[in-house]
This record gives sequence, C-alpha cells and structure tokens, in this order.
Amino acid sequence: MDSTLLSWLVFVPTIGAVACLLAPREVTRTVAMLASGISFVLSLFLIPPFLGAGDEMNAAAVFGSSYGDALHFIQRIPWINGESFTIEYFLGLDGLNLPLVILTTLISLLAVWASWNFDEWKINKGKKGYFALLLLLETGMLGTFVALDFFLFYIFWEVMLLPMYFLIGVWGGPRKEYAAIKFFLFTLAGSVLMLVALVAMFFYSGAAVAEYPELAVSYRDGASVLTTGTFDLIELATNEAIQKYFGESLFLGWRFAPVMFIFLFVGFAVKLPAVPVHTWLPDAHVEAPTPISMILAGVLLKMGGYGFLRLCYPIFPSGGQFWAGTLAAIGVVSILYGALCAMAQTDFKKLVAYSSVSHMGYVLLGIAVMTETGFQGAMFQMIAHGISSPMCFFLVGVIYDRAHHREINRFGGLWLTMPKYGTMATIGFFASLGLPGLCGFVGEVFVLLGTFEARHTFTWAVPAAILAAAGVIFTAGYILWLIQRVYLGPQKPEYADYPEATGREMAILMPLAALCVVLGVLPRVVFDYMNGTLRNILDQIL
Amino acid sequence: MTSLLASMWLPSGEDLIRFAPELALVGTLAVLLTVPLVIGRSSIVAGRIAMVGVVATLLLAITVGRRAIDGGLSGLAPPAAGGMLILDNLTVYFKAVLMLFLAGTIVLWFIISADTEQHGTEFFVLLLGSALGMVLMTATLNLLMIVVAIELASLPSYAIVGFDKHNRKAAEASLKYAIFGAVSAAIMLYGVSLIYGLYHTLNMTEIAPRLVTHLASGHNVFTIGIALVLVLGGIAFKIAAVPFHFWCPDAFEGARIEVTTWLSVSSKAAALLLLLRLVDALSGAAAAQGVVLNALTGLAWVIGLMAAVTCTWGNFAAYRQDNVKRLLAYSSIAHAGYMLMAAAVFAHPASVRADHSPIAAVLVYLLVYAVMNLGAFTVVAVVAKATGSESLSAFNGLGRRSPWLGVAMVMCLVSLVGLPPFGGFIAKLWLLLALGSQGGTLCWLLILVAVGNTLISLFFYFRIVRAMYLFDDRQPSFSAPVPGIALVNLCAVALLLLGVLFINRPKLIADRYARNLFAQRPAGFVQRPLDRNDGIDPGTAVVRADEASSTDGPSAKRR
Repeated sequence: MDSTLLSWLVFVPTIGAVACLLAPREVTRTVAMLASGISFVLSLFLIPPFLGAGDEMNAAAVFGSSYGDALHFIQRIPWINGESFTIEYFLGLDGLNLPLVILTTLISLLAVWASWNFDEWKINKGKKGYFALLLLLETGMLGTFVALDFFLFYIFWEVMLLPMYFLIGVWGGPRKEYAAIKFFLFTLAGSVLMLVALVAMFFYSGAAVAEYPELAVSYRDGASVLTTGTFDLIELATNEAIQKYFGESLFLGWRFAPVMFIFLFVGFAVKLPAVPVHTWLPDAHVEAPTPISMILAGVLLKMGGYGFLRLCYPIFPSGGQFWAGTLAAIGVVSILYGALCAMAQTDFKKLVAYSSVSHMGYVLLGIAVMTETGFQGAMFQMIAHGISSPMCFFLVGVIYDRAHHREINRFGGLWLTMPKYGTMATIGFFASLGLPGLCGFVGEVFVLLGTFEARHTFTWAVPAAILAAAGVIFTAGYILWLIQRVYLGPQKPEYADYPEATGREMAILMPLAALCVVLGVLPRVVFDYMNGTLRNILDQIL
Repeated sequence: MTSLLASMWLPSGEDLIRFAPELALVGTLAVLLTVPLVIGRSSIVAGRIAMVGVVATLLLAITVGRRAIDGGLSGLAPPAAGGMLILDNLTVYFKAVLMLFLAGTIVLWFIISADTEQHGTEFFVLLLGSALGMVLMTATLNLLMIVVAIELASLPSYAIVGFDKHNRKAAEASLKYAIFGAVSAAIMLYGVSLIYGLYHTLNMTEIAPRLVTHLASGHNVFTIGIALVLVLGGIAFKIAAVPFHFWCPDAFEGARIEVTTWLSVSSKAAALLLLLRLVDALSGAAAAQGVVLNALTGLAWVIGLMAAVTCTWGNFAAYRQDNVKRLLAYSSIAHAGYMLMAAAVFAHPASVRADHSPIAAVLVYLLVYAVMNLGAFTVVAVVAKATGSESLSAFNGLGRRSPWLGVAMVMCLVSLVGLPPFGGFIAKLWLLLALGSQGGTLCWLLILVAVGNTLISLFFYFRIVRAMYLFDDRQPSFSAPVPGIALVNLCAVALLLLGVLFINRPKLIADRYARNLFAQRPAGFVQRPLDRNDGIDPGTAVVRADEASSTDGPSAKRR
C-alpha cells in the first residue's frame, strides 16, 4: 500500500520550522502550534488500517503472517544509486512504530504548548530559532521512527542531535554548555559505532547474497532474488541468505552477529539510557527547559528501545542470545541503581531524570529475555513512560515557574495551595510509580512476567525478575517520599499565595493524565496495535 | 643521461591543445607580470587578471578534458613525452576542482585583502605559480618531473606564507616552512637518485615493472625499500602527515588567511593524488605480473599507520588551540589523514581485486573538503577583519552578532565533523564504503579509527559553535561584508545540497574520472562488468584473475 502520508507527517514540522523563521515574531508560537498540531492530526490518520487488530482473525490481515509482510503506508523511492547498491527513501509503518509515532506527535504538540510562555522565560532571546529547532527535532524523531532503510534511519538519527544540542545549550540552565556537549558526545559515540555497523552490514549482506544466491529471495515480492548488499532493515532481518551468513561469518576474528549487535547496542543504550552510559541524562534534563525535557524523556529515550526492537534483535538474533545475560544484568542494574540515585536526589528534576533511568531499565530487561510477554511489556513500558514522564517533567516545570527553584526539601503543602495541580501531580507520579490501574503498572508487570517465563531458557531469569521486582519497592519509596515532601504536610507561608495551575497548564496535564488512566485500565488500546508485529519479530528470531 | 634526452619531445599542435589549461595558467602568469609595465601597478587589476586566467583555465580543463576522454584527442598521454606529462581523467578532475577552489580563494582575497593589498601582482604570480606546480604534480610519472613540480609548488608557497613582510609571525612561518621543505626535498631527491641509480631511468612506467620483479625475487630489496620510504617522506611532507607535519600549524597560523585557505586544501590534495598515482603504478605493475608483494602490503600498513596517527594527532592537537586559524590547520592535518586511509587500502595487494573506489572516494572528499574549508575560513577571515582577532573569543556570540555568518559557520563545522545531513558526512561515508569494500583487517581497523576520530573532532569543532551560540559576552554586532556572507552561505548551501539531494552526484563524476587509471593494466586482469542499476554508462571493474585466492574480506571470514 503506497502512500505519501508518512512523508507529509515527517516534513510538515520542517515546513513549520521554515515558516517560524519567516513569520513575524508575534505569531511564531502560533505557527509552531499549527505545524505540530497538523502533524498530530495526520498521525491519527495512520490508525485506521490497524483498527480491529485485537481480534485474532484480523490480526494476521493487519500485521501479516511474518515480519515485514504487511507494512502500511509504504513509500519507497530510489534515492542514491551507487555502483552496486541502491539506498532508498523507504518509509513504512507497522505495529512497532505506530504507537511511537503517535506518542511523538502528541508530546511534540504538548511541548510546543508548554513553550507558550516563552516570552516570560529567563532566556527569552531567539524565539524564532527556538520553535524552529523544536520542529526540526520533531522531524528528526518522526523520521527515525518511520525510516526502514538503515541509511535513512541513520541520517534522521543524527539530524536529531543538532537541534537538541542548541535547545539545551542556548535555552538551558546554568550548566547548559556542559550538559549540551555531554549529550552530543555520548550520543555521537554511540552513533559512530552504528556507522561502522552500517558499513559492515552492507558489505556482509553483499557477500551473503553472493554466497547463497539460492536463499536470497527478497521479502518484497517473495520471488525476486537479491543480488547486492542492502540497507533495507526488513530485508536484512528476513532474507535467509543474509541471516545465514550473518550468523556464521567472522569480523576481525570475532563472530559477526555478536560484534555488530554490540556496535548497534551501544548506540541505543546511550539513548535509552542504560547504566553506565546514562550519565548525560541527569545533566541534560536538569539544564534543559521544561518542554525540551518533556521531549527528551517522552520521545528521545524511546529511540533506544525502538532501535533494539527494529535493528538489534531482528537482524542479529544470535547476538541477542549471546548477550542476553549481560543485557539483562545491565537492565537490572539500571532499574536498581536508577531508583537508588533517584532516592538520593534533592533536586526535583534530577529525581525525575533518574527515575527515567530506572524505568527504562525495565525496557532493556523485557527485551533481553526475548519472550513475547517481555517484548510486550518493554514496548508498553516505553509508551507508558512516554506519557507519565513528560507529565512529571511538566509538573516540575509548573512549580519551577512559580518558585524558581527545585529543592524538594524547601517545598511542602503544595496540595493545599494548588489543589488541582496537586491532583494532577498525584496521578502523574503514581503512574510513574506503577500503581495498579495506571499505565506504569502494566509495563512493569509484563516485563516481570516475561522474565519469569524465560526461566527455562536462562538460569538467571528468576533472580533477575526478583531483583527487578525489588526495584518497584525502591520506586515506591522515592515517589511516596517525594509526594510527602512536596505536596503533603502543612502549608508553607512562602508558597501560600501561589496561583493555581492555569488553564493552559491544566490543558496540557489533562490529556496526559487521562492517558495514564486509560492505558492503565484498558492496556488493550496499546497492545492491540503492536502485539502482531512483536509476535512476528519473535517468530522470526526464535 | 641519454635516456633523459630520449624523453624530450617537441610539442605538436595536438599536444598544445591537450595542455591548453596549463598553458593558460602560464599565459596568465606572463600577463600578470607584463601588464604592470604598461598600465602601472594595481592590485585590483592583478586580481581581475588572475580571476579571468583561472576561470579560463577551468573552462579549458573541462572542455579539453571532455574531448580527451571522449576520444576526440588520440591517446590520453603523448607517447613521445615518456610519461613526462599525463593527461587523463584524474588530471582533468583535479584541474577542475583546483581551479574552482583557486577561484574561491581569489574571491576571498577580493573580500578580505583587496583594499589593503600593495603587492597584488607579486601575490598572484606566486599564487598561480604554486597552482601550476600542483597541477603538474598530479600529471606526471617521471621522477624528475615530480621533483620539479613539487619545487614549483613549494617555492612560491614559502614566499607567499611570509608575504606580509612586516608580520614577524609570517616571517617565522615562512622560514620554518622553507627549512622543512628544503630538507624534505633533499630527502626525496636522495630517494629518487637511489631509484635512478638502480634503473637508469626516471620514468616510473618503466621503473615499476622492474622494481616489482626485483622485489618479488628479493633483489635490492633494502635499497628499494629505503628509496621508497624516502620518496614517501617527501610526499608526506607536502601532505603534512605525521611525523612530517610540524611546519603546518605554524605556517598556516602565520600566513594570511587566504593563503592558509589555499594551502590547506591544494598542497595536500596535489601530494595525495601524486601518492595515489605512484602507488597505482606499483600495484598495477605487481598486478600485471600476477605477483602478490609483501612489500606492497607493508607499504599499505605504513601508509595506513601514518593515516591513523595523522588524523588522531591532528584532532587531539586541535583541541588545545585558541587561535581558530591554527585550529583549522590541525583540522586540515586530520582530514589529510582520512584521505590517506584511502591511499593505504589502495596500496594493499588485496585491494587490487576491487576497483577504483578508494580513488573515487578521495576525489569526492577533496571536492567536499574544499567547499567546507573555503566556507569555514571565509567566516574566520570576515570575523578577523571585523574584530582584528583570530582567537576563539572573537567568535563569542557570533550567532547573535551576525546571524547569517553564524548559521553558515555551524553548517560548515558540522560538515567538517562529518555529520549528516551535510556533504562532509557523505564524503566520509564514501570513504568508509571504499575501505569496507576492500575488506581485510587493515581496512576495518582504519574504519574504526576514522569513526573514532569523528567523535574526537566533534569536541574541538564544537568549541567554535559553543562560542558562537552558547557564550555571549555582549560584543558589539557587526555588519559583515555582503560578498563574504554570500560566499559563506553559498558554501553552506552547497554542503547541504551535497548531503541531501545530490548525494551521489559527485561520486558518479568521481567514479568516471577515477576509472581510467586502471585502463592501463590489462595483463593478468579480467574485465568484469559491474552489477549496475543506475543507468550510468556501464563501467568495468578490474578483477584479479586470482581473486578467489584472496584471504581477506568478508567472503573469507568463515567460522
């Protein structure tokens, strides 16, 4: 099914960015709002082909019988013709990226709205540049999610870096220079390894189809035979010749699949972020302005998990098997270490940042065990965290706008002063805590169940699950303690005259809060749209 | 001596047409020198004459090159010249790129120095003289001619670096450059004399097969080895490869900015292509005789090691610089390192099975590098002229003080780092793909070094970005000259287009120009049509007959 809808979706923000630069300063934010609003509406048009997928009968029709079998909204244009290869402008949608695309457009829209009071910020210069960069960032994020050609994916991946650098570096807090370059360096360190993997995968796939021409049947029409190396992410995962060759060949004396898996993994682990490459995250979050933190936590971190599921596992399943224990260990350490760090923070924003490290640890653990429940849990956790953590960051932003500090211990009794805001904060933080009935719960439980399920394959699965479950207690610890210190207790005089959350602030919080509840009560609204693809990927790799 | 005389030839009319671009350059030099006698000294007039001459050379190079390549001129190199002067695709491409870049440099001169220049005539004579030398460097396989061409390129360069005679730094730079240059020339001459002593000819096309035979049979290996290393050293000096780089930062810092711009690209480019040509002669001869030489593998590793050290050193050293010009000088060392990598794999015997892609990668890299360096240096020049300082602090808040300059500089710098969506990334990608296509341990190690260096280089290039956008010490804004802004943004837009819309255009052109180097080595080779689907004229790749016995590369990596 060919369509240009995804291209419009990706490049409407770019058009908006140009418009922001050209339009007069008074209407900049309106233009940005319009652009991100249009792309949000466009993203809703992506849903219809996936409707009714929860029904077993329909699932096969929607998601196809195997990975890459039923991509939607495909756009495929030859882009770069090399001597022996073609790089394509190849966009497509399946259950893996659909929820993330909608999440991206939603969070971007809310982030633009959260920037509505730009003129009141401490650093309110360069308004046009700010909104233009924000929209460019949205293009990069959407492009990364929908690109199915490795080269295109890489371009979009790197396109995200520069806007983010400037958004943190120019409009950030006191240590913005340090935070911005640290973010850039860490991410680039990962992506240069990805570049090596890109080059290597291209040549090894070329060697593969030369070695096993009889197996090199392309997934595209099921008949034509691949004759050259490819950058097509689906082809790399599904072509039998490539898979066979990747599994058995060597790279500088090591087995190809595990080495490439790690090259890709490092790039995604930095984004996720997993301990020990997470240190850029607290710095970036603390220094970034609130809307940028929302995007960073809500969307950018999901790039890591998405990368695992789109690149690492389908293309190098044996690499996944090889490193499963290590990855799970990293995941568990991230959960516990992130939670403990969060507990020790006195800076409100830093606490939320470390809670992200902890929560994304579940994503890594759920993926590492390679069970269906684990994958589902990891994917759901990404969506849930993509809703609850921007909400938390915005909640921090709301109070920071009034108090101009983020010291947890100096707050207290805010619920009495701002009851509506307090209610929202409770929903947001409880969702983050993983309270049953709110979205955070479902993802964590699925990850834990999935980890237990893997006990027959991996001996370490049970201890890993127990330790990860213990993480929930730490999480409850720091969040309850936080709520107690900030929102409960007697009203403090210096905060007594704070105005209640404004209509705009409530309007940003309400949809997020609603989603927290809906996803917690009816997880099917997410599961139905992605289960089929996750199952196809698992069928493919097991 | 007899052989020398035998290689002299009297040009025919056709030869004159073939070398019309070079003759046009020489003619421009003559005009530059004679016009002041008639109308008096005028820097602006000299600049205009130079510009016209360069553009004429560019057009001639393209038209004559087209004719030569399409077969309109019989034979590519005049046979009687004995390899003294070669006209092939590589020289055509290089001439075109070099003249384009020279035109850009002259435009930069008009923007920066035209109003204060007192010795325009001399300046352009020296500038065009060095350009002529560089053109000749890439167009010969005669050792004597190589030495002469290198000197022709170098001597004006020494003078031009110290052109502002009242500037002590410039004088020091010029002296350092001259001393290092003289020593390197002596070293190289010694290497050449050893080769001449062994083979009694200066013609590489004759020397290479005999040299390969000797190496294969173990004759004179020691002498040949020393000679090759000495020649390589001489070339490495021009490339400013570590450990022959010491002159480079000083010379580049001391020279005026348009001279730095010019030398940062052109001298390295010419020397690099010369190296590729020599390596091609050797590996071509080895392939023609069907032997796999350990010596060539060793040469590949030596060049590869030099490349890796060069770009790593350049990037690390750049980090500590506070003078932006000096910083960009180290950056040019690093970029030369990237390009040397292609030369390394090209020398590797295992690579001969493949194709011209390393050469094509270098050609693309040169083009893109010329554009981004011109852009970056123009910004430095404009800022230095407006503020009187080349230090990093002069850039503080530039994004606010001159938004157009700031944005364009960011684009050039990101491109220099090698990040998408700019031309620098594409250039690096073709380089990595060229390395990867050869396979083998050396290539993958070089790839890892190259991407690792991308990371290191981010750090120092972004010190400039940080100064421009993240710092703001309230310096007054200034209005940059419009031509300067136009030139910078032209470069930036070109980089963006090269990185997004016209990604493979330079590569396709470079492929066409790189290909014919292999036309001269039929024996022992089979011609295999490449699997092509891009609708461009189907070229041929040269495949070694014993390709299957190659032990490196993906196909051999079996568990």
